[in-house]
Amino acid sequence: MSAGETTTEELKLDWGIQEDPDRLAEFQRRIDARELVEVDDWMPHNYRVGMLRVAEHHANSEIVGALPEGEWITRAPSLLRKLALIAKVQDEVGHGQMLYHVCQDLGKPRDQMLRDLCTGKTRYHNVFNYPAPTWADVAMIQWLVDGAAILNQKSLAEGSYGPYVRTMKRINMEEAFHFKSGEDMVLTLMSGTKRQKQMGQEAFDRWWSPCLMFFGPPDKESTKTGPFMQWRIKTATNDTLREKYVDRFAPAALALGLKIHVANKNPDGLIATKPDGTLDMIEDPLIRLDDKTGHWGFTQPDWEEFYRVIGGDGPCNKQRVALRRFSYEQGQWGRKAGLGCAGLPPTRN
Amino acid sequence: MVSRIREQFEASEGELATPAEADPKPYEVFIQLTRGQPHTHAGTVDAVDDQMALEYARKHYGRDQECVHMWVVPREAIMSTGYDDDLIWPLTDQGYRLARGYAADVRRKWERFRSVKDVDQYQAEDIKETF
Ligand SMILES: [Fe+2]
Ligand SMILES: [Fe+2]
Repeated sequence: MSAGETTTEELKLDWGIQEDPDRLAEFQRRIDARELVEVDDWMPHNYRVGMLRVAEHHANSEIVGALPEGEWITRAPSLLRKLALIAKVQDEVGHGQMLYHVCQDLGKPRDQMLRDLCTGKTRYHNVFNYPAPTWADVAMIQWLVDGAAILNQKSLAEGSYGPYVRTMKRINMEEAFHFKSGEDMVLTLMSGTKRQKQMGQEAFDRWWSPCLMFFGPPDKESTKTGPFMQWRIKTATNDTLREKYVDRFAPAALALGLKIHVANKNPDGLIATKPDGTLDMIEDPLIRLDDKTGHWGFTQPDWEEFYRVIGGDGPCNKQRVALRRFSYEQGQWGRKAGLGCAGLPPTRN
Repeated sequence: MVSRIREQFEASEGELATPAEADPKPYEVFIQLTRGQPHTHAGTVDAVDDQMALEYARKHYGRDQECVHMWVVPREAIMSTGYDDDLIWPLTDQGYRLARGYAADVRRKWERFRSVKDVDQYQAEDIKETF
């Protein structure tokens, strides 16, 4: 057994552990006083593991999320869009790099994380298991998915772990570019020809429900008061974030002339067709502003689909992991050279 | 008293005979004013080893303002760029990779769909929510 595996073995949540009650109370006091926890500070085992899991899942998502977008670089419709997409993909991989560093400091070796991602031991964000068949999907991803990421990451930036919080703030500045350039693309598309608008609508139909799922399953009572909220690893519940998201994006989409549909999907992630050849979807009857609550109504996404896709049976799970694995294996010579194992002198340190 | 001791010493001239006991090295000092905030460069100390550098840094830079944490780094360990022929921020327009590069266009395009007042409000929320 390698050292890496031993470390991972130790890095499991274990609610049977009895932490020193005085230290635990002091730790909670610091969190409640909004003090940031730093890498060398004492922290409960489950805080370390919980934080590592969040950060590792986030890091994995950044680099897997760059895969479907990277495929579109060569097919971008103009030089400006091509430059912007290259810059965005570069940003996302950079986000992964910064986040893996946070995880390393929490105790998991980087190579172990990269290998766990390739072998399916760890996961990445579910939203990246859906296909991006047209350029309009690229636009919608940058508007809807990066928009969702900003909302989520803004809440994470109010968390308690200093290195992660600072990384979130840095990342969010770059996400603002992704979002704005996505918004610009969607606005361009929706001010275009009838066919362009149609393309925009079809892409919107593919991405709306994965984006509602983005924030995770509906809240259970236990997660609202659980230790991860108490320790401020999470600072907002899934449903709160989802509500905020719909409040912002539903009226914006309607203003652009988009229709918000509830659709049935094929296993390939595309909208199913009815026997008469029309698309199997209806306008969401719940989309309207509730004057009493001040929030927008919406139909919940298909949570069965969510669990199926998370479980590995989504439209693109296999391609995404296979591409990541390919790139890991192809990059082996580079890592070897960098670490001085290929007959080359090692790097300075 | 002091002057009497001085009188008993024979005045010496020319090069000093004794070499310095040790050769101090420059260390760069970074201080953190509030927990969670970044460390910023405060100045330099000369010291013979890391421990002494930290001690000096405390005394020099940790006392003139509230300071919660400190780093010292041997100057020789710092890698740096040049100023003139090694541009970090490229001279070509890189607006395409910044949110502000899109702001004017996005604004103009939104006004096709929403009233000026609504776009104003939407953009105010944008800034509040860091979009
Ligand atoms: Fe990102
Ligand atoms: Fe992004």
